[in-house]
Amino acid sequence: MSTKAKNEPAVAYSELAIRNNLSIVEYCRTSVAAVSGCTAGVLGLTGLYGALFFIVAVTGFWLMLLFKAGIDSWRKFFISRKSLLINGIFGHFFTYILCWTFIYGMVHVY
Amino acid sequence: MSASFIHRSILTVGFLSLFHAAYSAAQHRSYLRLNELDFSHLPLDIFIQALVSLFIIMYGVLQVVGDFKEIKASAELENKSWETFRNIPSFYIFCHRGGKSSIQSTKSSLEEIE
Amino acid sequence: MTADLIVDPQIRFWVFLPIVIITFLVGILRHYISILLSSQKKVEIQQLADSQLILRARALRENCGYIPKNSFLIRRQAFNKEDGYLMQKRPPVTQNMMTDPSMMTDMLKGNLTNVLPMIIIGGWINWMFSGFITTKVPFPLTLRFKSMLQRGIELSHLDASWVSSASWYFLNVFGLRSIYALVLGENNAADQSRQMQEQMQMTGAASGMPADPKIPFKAEWEALEIIEHQWKLGDVEKELLQE
Repeated sequence: MSTKAKNEPAVAYSELAIRNNLSIVEYCRTSVAAVSGCTAGVLGLTGLYGALFFIVAVTGFWLMLLFKAGIDSWRKFFISRKSLLINGIFGHFFTYILCWTFIYGMVHVY
Repeated sequence: MSASFIHRSILTVGFLSLFHAAYSAAQHRSYLRLNELDFSHLPLDIFIQALVSLFIIMYGVLQVVGDFKEIKASAELENKSWETFRNIPSFYIFCHRGGKSSIQSTKSSLEEIE
Repeated sequence: MTADLIVDPQIRFWVFLPIVIITFLVGILRHYISILLSSQKKVEIQQLADSQLILRARALRENCGYIPKNSFLIRRQAFNKEDGYLMQKRPPVTQNMMTDPSMMTDMLKGNLTNVLPMIIIGGWINWMFSGFITTKVPFPLTLRFKSMLQRGIELSHLDASWVSSASWYFLNVFGLRSIYALVLGENNAADQSRQMQEQMQMTGAASGMPADPKIPFKAEWEALEIIEHQWKLGDVEKELLQE
């Protein structure tokens, strides 16, 4: 277990635990991107509505995540709240587009 | 075990419901096409079902993946006793006079050290 | 958007869905095949010793403030004197990638699992499902995307948001990456780009690091020579007592 020291209040973080948490979050966010893409496809959203739906879904998931971690105690599990929302959002958007196109094609095109 | 089973079944229900919504939407589309109507929007029930199942799946995924670990390094150490820290394998001594006397005593001395 | 095209529903079950399934299953198959074919890298003991040596020198350089000056000088002397650790002569290892058989087989395996299925399956899909309009992306696109999304059908008046079968295959190849991560776990072999990257790194590390330990040795030697010892624990008693 290696530790990483911060300057100000000298808090040591366990890198293993950080990585574990981040991989959990990453897993969730990928699946949320895929599932929200599927939902957007079912709803038959087109154009900007789809992008809007993605933003709403990701933000909603982020709130749920914070709620699970505890609204006051999220600091125990993550260093930064914002990075949970922002990190790798374009990769997830690509997943979202693929699922969206796929389900949209399956449901609405034919 | 039982809790994770419940969460898994929640996830499954969510997926089934989403699939059902998708199927209904496809049926609706084909119905519209057969009657040569224009598509303006989905029926409200399918719309709501899809949204609700999305939230069910999100909740299920969040519960299934497991709990977070505390990232403070000290959180892990709090449960360990002083004996665990004092146990340093690199400083074990195996080559001492006890080994000469018998195998039995070597075993017992090993246990003592540990 | 102009008047809607009516697409035969049979295309959905016999073209659109099979392409997705085939791409997905091929990715999974590739993952398991590359697990089967993967071989452990053998590390030579000399290379390992050299890299550990460099790590030790770096640790000394970074943490020298925490040991007394005398100890630091002794340690530096051990590294940097005439026949010290960092001045050892190593026989120049000219490791040629082409002559090393293990390297060759590794590259061959990489090609076998990466490039070959892509070409074969891509060609097969192009041949089998050629010329279908499969789907429509649910957002408007400019005409520039037309050549990308409508490979295989040359219709100049078709709206740009329709996707042909060949392009749908390629979209899947690149888009399913994160789904693999979901299904197979994080470090899967189905992910092509990562593997390419890994290969690059491997070759980079293999040709740069062990081939000639002289260069990092020299750099480390210089860094150790330059560094000035600064005792960081001068007022440690005061700080400890304050707390």
